[in-house]
Amino acid sequence: MPKELKVMMLTWEFPPRIIGGISPHVYHLSKSLAENGVKVYVVTCDFPGAPQHEMVDGVEVFRVDSYKNPSPDFASWVYLMNMNMQKEAAAFVKSLGGVDIFHAHDWLVANAGIGLKHVFRKPLLATMHSTEYGRRNGIHSDYEKMIHETEAWLTYEAWRVICCSNYMVSHVKWVFGLPEDKLVMIPNGVEVKEYEKHENTDLNQFRRRFALPEEKIVLFVGRLVYEKGIHVLVNAVPKVLEKVNAKFVIVGNGYMQQSLSEHVKSIGLSHKVLFTGFVDDATLRNLQKCADVSVVPSLFEPFGIVALEAMAAKSPVVVSDTGGLSEIVEHDVTGVKVYPGNPDSLAWGITRVLLDNDYTCRLRENAYKRVLERFNWKIISQQTKNVYETVLKEYSKTFWA
Amino acid sequence: MRVIIFSWEFPPRVVGKLADYVKELSLQLARNNVKPYVVTYHDYLTGEFDEEYGVKTYRVTNPVKTHVSVLTWVLTLNQEVERAAANIYYKSGKQVDLIDAHDWHFIPAAVTLKKALGIPFVYSIESLEDHRSHGANSPFNMAIKSIEWLGMYEASRILVKSKWMANEAVRIYKVPESKIKIAKPEAKLWIETILETYGSLMEETAHNA
Repeated sequence: MPKELKVMMLTWEFPPRIIGGISPHVYHLSKSLAENGVKVYVVTCDFPGAPQHEMVDGVEVFRVDSYKNPSPDFASWVYLMNMNMQKEAAAFVKSLGGVDIFHAHDWLVANAGIGLKHVFRKPLLATMHSTEYGRRNGIHSDYEKMIHETEAWLTYEAWRVICCSNYMVSHVKWVFGLPEDKLVMIPNGVEVKEYEKHENTDLNQFRRRFALPEEKIVLFVGRLVYEKGIHVLVNAVPKVLEKVNAKFVIVGNGYMQQSLSEHVKSIGLSHKVLFTGFVDDATLRNLQKCADVSVVPSLFEPFGIVALEAMAAKSPVVVSDTGGLSEIVEHDVTGVKVYPGNPDSLAWGITRVLLDNDYTCRLRENAYKRVLERFNWKIISQQTKNVYETVLKEYSKTFWA
Repeated sequence: MRVIIFSWEFPPRVVGKLADYVKELSLQLARNNVKPYVVTYHDYLTGEFDEEYGVKTYRVTNPVKTHVSVLTWVLTLNQEVERAAANIYYKSGKQVDLIDAHDWHFIPAAVTLKKALGIPFVYSIESLEDHRSHGANSPFNMAIKSIEWLGMYEASRILVKSKWMANEAVRIYKVPESKIKIAKPEAKLWIETILETYGSLMEETAHNA
């Protein structure tokens, strides 16, 4: 294709607005696509202090006023936000003289993506990072069903549906009844360079803010919600402490935080479990580098980016054998897999890593190598660009072209 | 002149007074050399398309069946309205002069089509949330009011059916009076006033182009 390929990404989060994994994903994907010769526009929600319009690492970012409509519930907020995002994006596209492709990330931008597809008659791609069915372990209310049907609608309207793991491909195929040839697997990635950036920090000094010198650090990073299995880790704490002196550092916020910290207090282990809340990027990266083991005990995990980050930080990983995590980690080679939802199994995995130094060294090295080979943004952006080009070729034969 | 009319009710699907009004409007427009296209909601009994006395009617259904409120129902229906309107636009060789959106339901679609394709719209008011909900200001009511506000702000003209409603639009939404036209359905010059409003908007669009 001689002409420059123009893609408009729609996402409800983009740095500095970070809620979950979509934000870093879209940031790295857009940046790598830009480096690969694709013109990328990102339309996203606003964030205090972030400009309405700016260039970020070669990517043109537009932020849309997202909180001006009062909303009775989260889903209504999402639909109203989409109304605003769609009208702003429509004006941008018109001022740009058109784009070639719209790429929507999750149901959170479904309406905007679908509307833009039809008014401009350009192909829409969707990346499904998660599903309501998976997050809730089934559909239990009209509210959840509405979100589920919105996801189904997005996958129906999308020219291709991208998922980050084979697990998600089969999950999405089954949950929405999609044809095989509509689905594409492109893994998520991690930027190894970001872990080399803070090389000059004295990690021993840094470590003291979180643990005593004789304590091993067991690190959890994630939202404190049921699907992340944080309660499984908390239940494993006393079992690990029977064998190893360790400090459990829990990074992230969520509705389970209070009940978990109360539980820890009631079993007399407050001094062994530290809830840090949300931390900034630099602190997080250093923590990941210091961690003697990084634990991902999720019950549902479409991909498991946090495991990949730990591997890039050369921290050994213990993950539950589920979803995308099963594909990222090879047991005994790049990490340890344990039974999901089983505190005994999790404690076994953590103890194994903490007590066997040689074994752990091997895991770290293999994991790091695997990250460089498979989960590298340069490769991922090329795979994504290939999908764009395939879709545009198909599009050129339709009456929309 | 090619006009797309948005209405969430249209015969045989009659919810309130609006359905019959929009039907009469579209027939009168057709009689006055306007090509009216009605985009409305599909109730499964009526079919996706019909044409009668020069009025083309496109009916869309909601791809999301389950809802928690009329607000979520409306907001997910809008993309189908956009799809139907865009199809009319492209099939007619991009010759759509304006959209006449009746009440708040399809204002999001009208605004997007304006921004994307440069089609101006008229906001025709049958009723306002402030009256329907007797001044209630829960987040649900306020969300609907915020959509009405968006419509008032983005519309090129506002058509009302009484002097009272014109005053209310000014009172509630601080709309400049010059933007509002009163076309009383019972008045002799009802359709003339609407045609004049459409015509002046077309002239303005041509002038700005």
